[in-house]
Amino acid sequence: MTGESALNRILQPGGITPVYQPVVRSKNGTVETFGLECLSRGPKGSNFEQADVLFEYVRLKREESLVDRACISEALRGARMLPGALRLGINVHASTLGRDHGFINFLRKTVEAAQIDVRRLTVEIVEHAPPWDGVSFLAAIEQLRKLGAQIAVDDVGLGQSNFKMLLDVSPDYLKLDRYFVDGCAIDPRRRSVIGAIRQLAADSHAHLIAEGVEKPEDAQCLQSLGVTLMQGFLYSKPLTLDAVREYLAA
Amino acid sequence: MSNRPDRILIVDDEELIVLTMRKYFEGLGYRVDAAHELEEAQALLANRRYDLVICDLRLTGIGGVEGLQIVADIHQRCANTRVVLLSAFGTPEIERESYNRGADAFLHKPKSMMEIASVAMNLLDQG
Repeated sequence: MTGESALNRILQPGGITPVYQPVVRSKNGTVETFGLECLSRGPKGSNFEQADVLFEYVRLKREESLVDRACISEALRGARMLPGALRLGINVHASTLGRDHGFINFLRKTVEAAQIDVRRLTVEIVEHAPPWDGVSFLAAIEQLRKLGAQIAVDDVGLGQSNFKMLLDVSPDYLKLDRYFVDGCAIDPRRRSVIGAIRQLAADSHAHLIAEGVEKPEDAQCLQSLGVTLMQGFLYSKPLTLDAVREYLAA
Repeated sequence: MSNRPDRILIVDDEELIVLTMRKYFEGLGYRVDAAHELEEAQALLANRRYDLVICDLRLTGIGGVEGLQIVADIHQRCANTRVVLLSAFGTPEIERESYNRGADAFLHKPKSMMEIASVAMNLLDQG
């Protein structure tokens, strides 16, 4: 993939492949699917197939908005074919909400085209760079709520997902980063952080979702701390459209 | 000590050079990734650990010195990663600046694959 064409190839039809990772509610020994997070992979066989590389590149090119739009289009086009009415999480950079003044209209049209009830959507805000227009960002959040979407803040506890963001946005969901989840069963400091964020979520009338749950003992620990919404390889890896259809049919 | 083969990142905007180097180093048993532009290399460096980076100084045509930025990034992120800069336009000032920023070797093009590989393998052997 050479210079100028890398971004073009990511953005051309078929450049983005959507995958869907189940979010489950695990409580009292029962596990039920609560929703799906729509994730994206870049062109097959390229460095951008790995999502971390894809989005780091996109942020360095400052093309978050274009790629966010492409990812959402692909994800919702696929989600249209899924049975049921599970919640659907879509990822959006804070910078997209702050800078792309046409984004809300784009989302409304995309949701309509996919014939998906916008009330099923959770817009997961990814915040990696602070310099966005705060007024426009908060106006976009307000518009998303008016549309009927719910709001989540991603990667809580890491990087730029700070307390200011939580206070400004009043999200419906806090997504606890895997860094705090992995090993929480054997690390009292991680449990302490999770407990504090759990309390913050409760005080804000928000739900807490633990990401990156891979070990049964960590899942058990999270439940003991009052966290029931979970996502991670313990329950399911991100699935292709065909695989998630099978998962939902099972 | 790990038994895994060393991992090399090749950064060059010339596809033919990338393909030639990739084939050569993979043939020697190394794991090789390639990037064609500054941001692609930076995105890889942010997410993967490399033992050696071989990077062209100029990635965007006339006047570019993106290789220096990559050297500085590597020096900041991972002091154990060795860096070889290649350039057909390297002045003594740029060469000095490369070493100041943390490059382990600066090679003036043209160089044969054997010459590049010899420098690369010496650096990898130093650990």
